[in-house]
Amino acid sequence: MEMANNGPHLERRKAVSSIGMIILLVSFAMLFASLLLGYTVFRLTNEVWPPMGMEMVPITLPFLSTLVIAASSVAYMNFEKAYSAGESKLTSRKVSYFMTLFLGLAFMAVQFELWAQMADIGLYVSAGIFPSLLYTLTWVHAAHIVMAILALLLLLPSVFKEHSDTKIIWILNIGKFWHFLGVIWLIMFVVIFAF
Amino acid sequence: MAFFEQHIHEEPKTFLSKYIFSYDHKVIGKQFLWYGIFFLGVGGIMALMIRWTLAFPGEAFPLIGGLLFPTTNGVIPPDTYAMLFTMHGTIMIFYAITPILIGAFGNYLIPLQIGARDMVFPLLNMLSFWIAFVSAAILFISLFIPLGAAAGGWTSYPTLSTLIGSPGAGQTLWALALFLLGISSTMGAVNYITTIIVLRAPGMGYFDMPLSVWGLGLTAILNAIFLPVLGAGLLLLIFDRVFGTTFFLAGAAATSGTGDPILFQHVFWIFGHPEVYILILPAWGIVSDLLSFFSRKPAFGAKATALSMTSITILSTLVYGHHMYTTQMSPLLTQTFMTLTMTISIPSAIFFTNWLGTLWKGSIKFPTPMVFSLGVVFVFGLGGLTGLYLATVTTDLYLHDTYFVVGHFHYTMAASVLLGGYAAIYFWMPKMFGKMLNETLGHIHFWLTFLGLNGVFMGMMIVGYGGMHRRIYNPFVYEFLEKLIPINTFVTWSAIVMGLAQIFFVYNFVYTIFFKKEKAEANPWGVGTLEWTIPSPAPVYNFKEIPVVKCGPHEFGNPALTGDRDFQYQTEEIPAT
Repeated sequence: MEMANNGPHLERRKAVSSIGMIILLVSFAMLFASLLLGYTVFRLTNEVWPPMGMEMVPITLPFLSTLVIAASSVAYMNFEKAYSAGESKLTSRKVSYFMTLFLGLAFMAVQFELWAQMADIGLYVSAGIFPSLLYTLTWVHAAHIVMAILALLLLLPSVFKEHSDTKIIWILNIGKFWHFLGVIWLIMFVVIFAF
Repeated sequence: MAFFEQHIHEEPKTFLSKYIFSYDHKVIGKQFLWYGIFFLGVGGIMALMIRWTLAFPGEAFPLIGGLLFPTTNGVIPPDTYAMLFTMHGTIMIFYAITPILIGAFGNYLIPLQIGARDMVFPLLNMLSFWIAFVSAAILFISLFIPLGAAAGGWTSYPTLSTLIGSPGAGQTLWALALFLLGISSTMGAVNYITTIIVLRAPGMGYFDMPLSVWGLGLTAILNAIFLPVLGAGLLLLIFDRVFGTTFFLAGAAATSGTGDPILFQHVFWIFGHPEVYILILPAWGIVSDLLSFFSRKPAFGAKATALSMTSITILSTLVYGHHMYTTQMSPLLTQTFMTLTMTISIPSAIFFTNWLGTLWKGSIKFPTPMVFSLGVVFVFGLGGLTGLYLATVTTDLYLHDTYFVVGHFHYTMAASVLLGGYAAIYFWMPKMFGKMLNETLGHIHFWLTFLGLNGVFMGMMIVGYGGMHRRIYNPFVYEFLEKLIPINTFVTWSAIVMGLAQIFFVYNFVYTIFFKKEKAEANPWGVGTLEWTIPSPAPVYNFKEIPVVKCGPHEFGNPALTGDRDFQYQTEEIPAT
């Protein structure tokens, strides 16, 4: 693919991999949609929620998670912009990349804190359907976040190397996944923790 | 209008890069073909064991029985029987039919028929095969662990599939294997859809694609959307079994909290109903093409066929409730699902009549691929019509979980897909391996298979109508089933005929690939689609020059044609009249 400066060619490669990525994200979306469907069914068929006299998780930590993941998306957007701008924005590229990575790890840290807190108030995995749902949804989401962080680490070398057109395709696609997980978390926050 | 320039692949040099970790869609297709045929054999032997037990309970399974079940002197024990029908269903659906139709022919045909040099993401394609391989290995290992493989039926309803119903690790491995296979198929689907969107040869609109590609593409869409739903269900099942969550446990089965076993059925069938169309759509597409090719006539209403397949794809997502009429669903819902299910008959009837319209007044030839295609027309017609009784709530309440259901779904998604797969193998053999399969053996294979399978599945529908439940071990102990013993024996003998018929195929296939010297021509069938414009077997780079498409895939007997051919290549312009 020695066609680095071929403008329309790059645009087309971008379009092709975007199509692939979007189809993949539809698949991921269906996974979360099914899980949320299960949640909704249980929630609507129970007269009191949370059931069996369980306590609702305090909203503080989930809210913090939401802020962190939103900030990480913004940081990633800056990274995309700085990378596209080329060598002129080298510092901004590095700062925004490590900011994203840091916020991603921070999100995971908050999740671990959340699980510890849930255990503290008696919400164990095997304690009934309500904690089962909470754990499953957050676990599956966190597993995807781990995947996204690993993908982000794949980009580490290119942060220091010079600008490359093939890398920008990777960056845009990993970005789509990153923002997608942010949106999923937002939906989970609203559906599970906020109401 | 391809989106980007496709480079010519270099020919791989080492054995590993050429045959094992190949990026070439043609090699990956062949890998899937061998994989599928292997599991077709495994699943078939399991089917024979099931049938043997139903006709001759307490008698040792011939030849290999003593070897497999030494503790009972070759008699299949009841718990093993449950494992056999579970694994038969799982293997046939996910490890035999899916790899042959979608894995092998999807990979092989899509780039060749749309004039591309490879799939758009070759690495993803290779990973897709090897993940499927790992998944099959896990499933296979589960047969040999303590307490045995999964035994909750291929649908694995809780509570049969929870720790209470199946305490061994087999069920967990089953769920894990299917989850992995789901990942593999999703990767494949992303690849197929993107390839079809971006790599069509210049001049090829969607309606200029052969109907095979339509079928495969629609299947890929269903796969990408609905496999993750099964994935979610399987994850929950694994969590229930491993981490002690309580999604599918209720009442006395749950130590605490209340889950809902029915939830699994919902999730399973939201995936499961599209799944039956995932299996059948490629076969429909292939048969629609082959009928036209061997009637030497344009496919009647090709556009309508493509569109009705599309509308079936959409409708198939809305009807899953008809699998669950007996779960105390509200009558309003059952009637809604019944009506929606009945609606599927409209597009089905459209393309079915189109098939007949294609045949009408054609100069029909009967080589093996064509007789298999006509077989599909017959068995699919029959299978589709018996579906109406199961879609209707009132009759379904009686027929639910009887052998009638088993007969029906074997007719639609086993028999017709199997015959469609064979048609495809016989038809594309010269392009895949450069040699033609023997026609006489092919016809013997067809007739024995066809008679055998009708004996099996027709017999199943009759015993089902007589009230025989689909999962009983020994029908002879029930008084009300005693009169059905002769017909059960007949079904078993038919199954044996069908099983033995496959020997003709295996011999033919293996002999042709490894020993036959005679090479096939580039275009032995006289067909104009793009894969026949290149030499047989297809070279590594597929097309030396990316073809430019000028006409549709079924240009036969056009009066404007020049020369002595009765067909036109898709790269040729039809002269104006």
